[in-house]
Formats: sequence, structure tokens, C-alpha cells
Amino acid sequence: SIDTLMCADKEEDPDVIPEDSSLLTLRYVRKALERREETIIVDRACRQETLAYEMESHAVGKRPDSPTDLVEEGELLLTLNIFYPVIFQKHKDHKPCQTVLVLGSQKLTELRDSISCVSDLQIGGEFSSQPDQAPEHISKDLYKSAFFYFEGIFYNDKRYPECRDLSRTIIEWSESHDRGYGNLRCAKMEDYTFNDLSLKIGFPYLFCHQGNCEHIIIVTDIRLIHYDDCLDRNLYPLLIKKHWLCTRKCFVCKMYTARWVTNKDSLAPEDPCFFCDVCFRMLHYDAEGNKLGEFLAYPYVDPGIFN
Amino acid sequence: MSAVPGLREDCEALLGAFQEADTVRFERFAELWRERRFHTVFYGRIRALERSKITKKTLELAQQYFLPPYAFQIRVGALYLLYGLYNTQLCQPKQKIRIALKDWPEVQRFQQDLMDSQHYDAVYIFRSLRLARAFHFTAMPKLLNYRTKKKIQENEFKEEFKEPSNRVNSLITNDVLEELMNIHDHYQKMKCVISADKSQPDKALSLIKDDFVVTLKDITLEHQEWQQNRMKMFLNAKETDEISNKKEERTSLESEGSERASALARIKYKSYSAVVE
Repeated sequence: SIDTLMCADKEEDPDVIPEDSSLLTLRYVRKALERREETIIVDRACRQETLAYEMESHAVGKRPDSPTDLVEEGELLLTLNIFYPVIFQKHKDHKPCQTVLVLGSQKLTELRDSISCVSDLQIGGEFSSQPDQAPEHISKDLYKSAFFYFEGIFYNDKRYPECRDLSRTIIEWSESHDRGYGNLRCAKMEDYTFNDLSLKIGFPYLFCHQGNCEHIIIVTDIRLIHYDDCLDRNLYPLLIKKHWLCTRKCFVCKMYTARWVTNKDSLAPEDPCFFCDVCFRMLHYDAEGNKLGEFLAYPYVDPGIFN
Repeated sequence: MSAVPGLREDCEALLGAFQEADTVRFERFAELWRERRFHTVFYGRIRALERSKITKKTLELAQQYFLPPYAFQIRVGALYLLYGLYNTQLCQPKQKIRIALKDWPEVQRFQQDLMDSQHYDAVYIFRSLRLARAFHFTAMPKLLNYRTKKKIQENEFKEEFKEPSNRVNSLITNDVLEELMNIHDHYQKMKCVISADKSQPDKALSLIKDDFVVTLKDITLEHQEWQQNRMKMFLNAKETDEISNKKEERTSLESEGSERASALARIKYKSYSAVVE
């Protein structure tokens, strides 16, 4: 049949480049491989690469247990890039982001719930006098408001009574003088699905939570769902790519991730200084738990906590 | 996305050879493919992550040749190329071919053309790709990427592959000519109706040439022929350029040789003549 015309005549190893090839591509590949053999010390997948590959392909082809969760044919699949709100010089060329796959029929609130940002986990307050009482209320529970901004409309999260309309300030500001920003409107996040929106591909949109933590969202691709994709509705929004952030380690043991940060600390060599829980207590408190020296201590959540 | 080095040249070599073979049969394409052992283009990649990226870029490059403005033969060649690359790729699950929504009617028209011209092997190949679910139907043809480009790459079309741009023809199509004819007739009839003599229009009303539609058609045909001749001449000129370059080299070698010979002959003649004298 037609397929057999393409196949190789003899058994070949796909990793070995044939010697007598006339293809230009393979000449370049061979050069790159030779250069690699000379310079690389250990040639195997590093953990970042394994992680990236796993993330991309772990959900491919998955089917749900119950048929009600099956994604239907004709469903749209959007690929969104959600960027971190940090601005470092080293991120000039390639801003760190996570890539999420979303179904067209999913509500905006489902996307909001799946975005994991370190500012949600912050704990406010100075706890040097009572270090054991620290992690009680994280910011995610206290400040639940958030909004999306797509094409001139602010979609506010109004599921809980504590949620405030963060976008009202912006709308009032734009309407107070003629600033040239068309008609900005307001809507509820939980009433809309992605199919209801009209979006531009590649255009930056905004997600704001915690009052001032802003993430840029860009839609990179819209396509129809395919047989080989993950068809389990419960797994969406699906994270397929995540930027790896280095965690800050404790200053003392350099092993554990920092959980406390101190300022104006007479016992610490630098300001601010990071400690893990054990080293923090050993250095700053005596056996009875009394505070030693003067310092201000705040619980610290490292951005790399989601690695 | 930065391109795979050397891949564009390889694809263009294969498609160029296919174009020269001047046929759209799959057997011919398969021969050319086997000659070059094109399926080895995926070899030498080390691990799964890089391999899937490279495969995606390869399919994207091949897919560009499948759409207009490339000539019909090139597009059929691109269809075969996509079929070959899709089936010989090493990724599991297979990477798919992206077709944008705006290009899909064009692709369907292409398939209809193939069916009408009875190129059943091409139709079979297209249908088997559809059945194998090889396509992703997307909103945009290129997947976006957010690295700042160090160098913006211009997409250059190879001149010979392009269908000679028929701007004149696309403006003056058969439909347009038919409509012009109808309007012209209608106009003539109106003139007859309002003039005194019902059978032909008044002399005072004849403001345009009567047979301008026919003249227009002749002019466009002439233009098309001229363009085709120019393409042929261009191709011939390239060939003759190469041949004449070779000839020039040979003649210059010959002239060097003959110069030496004539110099020797002169010296001998002088010496003999000296002897004679």
C-alpha cells in the first residue's frame, strides 16, 4: 500500500545519523551533536527538562471515568499565557509565565481559581513576639476580590459577600474626565464562559487580585478539541508549562526553603535576612521561648513554592 | 520560532525536483523521497522534548507550501510531503498539522479541484490524512511565541515556485467578462429603444467602441501568453547562463592554450627565419 513506500528498507536506529545522507538538515544536526559531545559533561535530561516534558504530555490522551465528564466534539481549546508580576532585569527577553489550557465552555471563575500566585499566600503582620501564632489567615481567604479585563469589560468575582468591585475605581477615573478610553463596563465573572467572550489572539489582557497584584494574560492559540487531547473535563484548566523559580534558602543551613524574614535584626548579618523555621527559632528564642535581641519578623512565602 | 537550519533548503530541493518531473503522481514523489531518504530528517534528535519541538517546526514549514500563492504542482507536492512527514515522524503521540480557519475553504476548494481533475491518488492521500486525524483546526496558522527575536526573518518565496501572479486575470475573470457583455448588450438595447430608428442606435449616441469587450478579452489573453513566455525565457536564460558560463570557461582555457601555442609558433618561426636568413 501507499504507506510502505515511505518506510525504511532496513532496520535503522533513529538516533544515529546516516553517513551518506544528502540532506542539509542532517549535516547541521551532525555538527551540533559533535559540538555537544565535545562540550557537555553529562548527557542526560536535567530535571527541568524532564519536568517540562512531563507537564506538557502528562494529560495527553486521558479519558474520564464517568461519561458526563467527557469533553464534547466541537469544544474550543484556548491556550493562555499567564505572566508573573515580577519585573527583573534578567527577564528582559523572556518573561516567566505559566501556560494553561482552558475549554471554551468553562466559566471565568474556574480559570481564576486555577491561577496560583504567591501573593495569595502572604500572611500579614509582625510576629516576632508570638512566632507560634503565625500562619492562620492567608491573604487568599481575607481578600477574595479579583477581576479580569477583556476587551473593555471588567469581569468581577462576586461569588462571596466579601468580594468588592475593584474595577469601580478605574471606571470612575476614566469617566471623570474625557480620557479617551471608550466605554468601560462591568460584569460578573461567574456569569460568563470563554465562549461568550470575543478575544484577540496575542493581545495582552489583565487579571488583578489582592487589590494590586496584576498579571498579564495573553491568548496564544485557539483550536478545536482533538481526539488525542485530554478529554476529562475535570482536569481543565490544565497547566502545561510553568517557569521554574529558584527558591531562597535559609541563611544558616542553606538547605531548607526560607519561611521567615527578619528586619533590623541585631543577631543577623544582613537586612533583610531569611531563615527556615528551625534555624529561626534556635537563633532568636531561648529554651523557654523568650525573645532574644531586637528584631522584626515576618512570615515569608517564597515564589518558588509552586515548583 | 527560529527555523530548523537546512530544512528549508531540503524541502525546496525536493519540491523543485518534483516540479521538474512535471507530474503529480504519487509514485514519482515517492521515488524522489526514497532517493533522498527524507524520513531521516528526523534522526539525530536526542530527547522527547526537543524532538517534539523540531517536529512541530518541520510540519509548520511544510504546511506553508500547501497553501496559495504556490503553484498547483507545488501544492500537490506539499500535500505528499506533509503525508510523508506526518507518517514518518518519531514523536508519540504524533504532532499534528495546523490549518487555520481562514485557509480551510481554500483547502476544500483544492480538494475539489483534485477530484475534478481526477488526480485520485492525491485525493486518497488527503482523505487518509483526514481519517488519521492529522489536522488541528486553529484560529491562526502560526503558533505564537514570546521570545524577542534577535533577527526578524523575512519569509521569502522562491520565485520559480510561485504561480505567475495573475493580477490581470484575477481582475478580468470569465464572470466579469460575461457581466460586461451583458451590460453592454443591455446598453445597446436601451440606446435603440430611445432612438428614432428602433433597429439601431442613433449615430449621436455612439460614444464607446462597440466591441470593447472582445478587445479586452484579447488583451488579457495576450498578457497571459506574454507572461508565460517571459517565465520560460527566464528559466531558459538561467540554464543558458549556466551553460554559457561553462562555455566561457572552456573557451578561456582554450584561448590560454592557443596563446601559448601561437607564442611558441612565433618564436620558432623567428628562429627558423633567422636561420634561413
